[in-house]
Amino acid sequence: MKHRFALLALMLAALLALAGCSLRGKPGPGPEVPRPDSVLDPVVLYRENCSACHGAEGKHGPAMTLGDPVYLAIVDDDVLRTTISKGRTGTAMSAFAQKEGGMLTAQQIDAIIHGIRQRWSQPNVLSGVVAPPYAAKAPGNPQPGQAVYNTFCASCHGNGNQGGSKAGSVTNGAYLSLISDQGLRTLVIAGRPDFNAPDWRSNVPGHPMSDQEISDVVAWLAAQRRQPSPVPYTANPSSTANSSPGGVH
Amino acid sequence: MSRLKQIGNWFEQRLQIAGVIRETATHPVPRQSASWWYVFGSAALTIFILQVFTGIMLALIYVPSAGEAWNSLQYLNHDVTLGWFLRGVHGWGSNFMVAVVLIHMAQVFLFGAYKFPRELTWILGVFLLLMTLGMAFTGQVLRFDQDAYWGLGIGVAIMGRVPILGASLVHLLLGGPIIAGDTLSRFFALHVFVIPGLLIGFVSLHLLMVLKLGINEWPMPGRIVRRSTYVQEYHEMAHRDGVPFVPDAVWKDMFFSAAIIVSVMACAAYFGPFGPSGYPDPTIVQTIPKPDFFFLWIYAMLALLPPQMETAILLIAPVVVLGFLILLPFLSGEGEKSWKRRPIAVVTVLLIAVALGTFTKLATYSPWSPVMDGWSGDPVPVEYLNGRSPLERQGALVFQVKQCRNCHSIGDSGGKRGPALDTIATTLTRDQLVRQVIQGGGNMPAYGKNLNPAEVTALVSFLETLHLPGRPPARDAAQATVTKQENSPPASNR
Repeated sequence: MKHRFALLALMLAALLALAGCSLRGKPGPGPEVPRPDSVLDPVVLYRENCSACHGAEGKHGPAMTLGDPVYLAIVDDDVLRTTISKGRTGTAMSAFAQKEGGMLTAQQIDAIIHGIRQRWSQPNVLSGVVAPPYAAKAPGNPQPGQAVYNTFCASCHGNGNQGGSKAGSVTNGAYLSLISDQGLRTLVIAGRPDFNAPDWRSNVPGHPMSDQEISDVVAWLAAQRRQPSPVPYTANPSSTANSSPGGVH
Repeated sequence: MSRLKQIGNWFEQRLQIAGVIRETATHPVPRQSASWWYVFGSAALTIFILQVFTGIMLALIYVPSAGEAWNSLQYLNHDVTLGWFLRGVHGWGSNFMVAVVLIHMAQVFLFGAYKFPRELTWILGVFLLLMTLGMAFTGQVLRFDQDAYWGLGIGVAIMGRVPILGASLVHLLLGGPIIAGDTLSRFFALHVFVIPGLLIGFVSLHLLMVLKLGINEWPMPGRIVRRSTYVQEYHEMAHRDGVPFVPDAVWKDMFFSAAIIVSVMACAAYFGPFGPSGYPDPTIVQTIPKPDFFFLWIYAMLALLPPQMETAILLIAPVVVLGFLILLPFLSGEGEKSWKRRPIAVVTVLLIAVALGTFTKLATYSPWSPVMDGWSGDPVPVEYLNGRSPLERQGALVFQVKQCRNCHSIGDSGGKRGPALDTIATTLTRDQLVRQVIQGGGNMPAYGKNLNPAEVTALVSFLETLHLPGRPPARDAAQATVTKQENSPPASNR
């Protein structure tokens, strides 16, 4: 009999505990798994489609720093829209619009752009500064470009495949094969602040690069572009890759 | 005579049922069988009754049509007062019922209760297990979400492999060659009429036999079952050392059943209803369908099955297992009942439990499935990019864009189909990495045709940075010698 009362008490206690909890299992608003093309939350869309290459918070990714206000100040929505929709041929950026074989609707792409602007744009980041235009107005000249490289880039990136003391090589043929001229131009203008690469104003303190200099250095870099040999085995690996201080930290 | 008693008598005169009820309630059960081990059968029945009631309530709102089923469940979840709770109770009730039926079966097996004269009780029990699983499967289909849609697709694909009858069986089940308008109506009929009807009939017979043959006595090592003497021995035991079923045994059954119902409700309130997951539209490819909990082990087994064993496991094994379960009481209808003297029985139950548990555990994270959005949704860990050259970062980009991440994890996110690559350069040299990327091998496809030389160079440069801290990447000792010779003047070679 004693046992029965003990068990009864235990059961009552369990019931009370249940009553005490809030009903946590109640489903939230909307379906548990919405149709993928009905998702319009820019944070969710960015996380699922962009964060792998462009970084969780728009920085520290292997691809362009979308969270850099300087970058966002020089690029307009049409460029972003076209790039997301159609991708960039010859680069890692693939097409995301449904029309182009991707998974995103036009509204979703607009939502992503809106989200990027809202989260990371800073309205006055370039106030009082005339930034070089995003796209080159005229093709650059590779010959003066080399001198421009030596002035503005070589101090960090060094000359040749070995790279410099502060940063790896940007004249490596394989690297240049994987990045477009526009990609190079954008990098020269906006830098990679998340990896301590300065923008066009600060390569040489007090001497911002001119539009022409940027076009020329991009033209010179483009002229260095060459595919590595089809079998990338070489007796000396450091001729293709800058050895890394690396290791998993 | 009170009015109430008069009414009672009026009915009794016509039904003549009081005697049967009294006899049933007071029939003696062996004292030791009034045990906590004997409560699972009644608990299964209780959950079944709970399922019938909640099922009827759900059927008031559920629309069994392919176009509307998913929407009607959304309506239940969001717009009907406590509709979500009702769905939760029915869904958790289903899980509890399968669990309790399995425990009941294991207990009956270990206590030797299937032996003479209870062979038919066991065989009906085997069919009751199949029906319980059938209810769980058809119930999952009625949820008609992505999991249901693809789960059903796999189920009928297996069924279609049955020799000769396959196509007809699929047609019968789906109402056509594919999952379409008639499919859900058929499963509704199965889930609501056919299987429950059979269940009620079988449960009644099962119970009737428990009452007629008596509940299994507590097995004692050395007490041997013999066809010639068992019935007499049992009745002597029940009368000499028995207790009336009501109240001495029944309170444990009632208590356990109540506890189970409280648990089902607690789970429903705390964890909520199951799904429905995504809308069942086969054009939506962004989905990872998984079956409900009690079918996860099948999902894992099917995924890991070597192709040459498919016919054996899919078509022959179920027949063998079912045949064995049905024949079991005839194969060992006499002899020891106690699990203490039946080591093979104990080991069998343990083996099955461990195997099912392992498959279920594997299925919860399905390492064989690529993570299809890993390439776009799993950021490269910042520490793998800091201090790297532009080429190496470009390699990280190739790693993502070519969807290596879908099968290989780095920084604990990404697919688990291939090995994690966080320290790959500690084990593979540059040449080995290049070869693996270009030619594939193991389970990995060759990527040589999907990558241009620059991409291979960048990718391998990135992979080469993934080594243990403080340990240099693996290197080819011979290569260093060759390089040294190449760089040295010929004379110094001698």
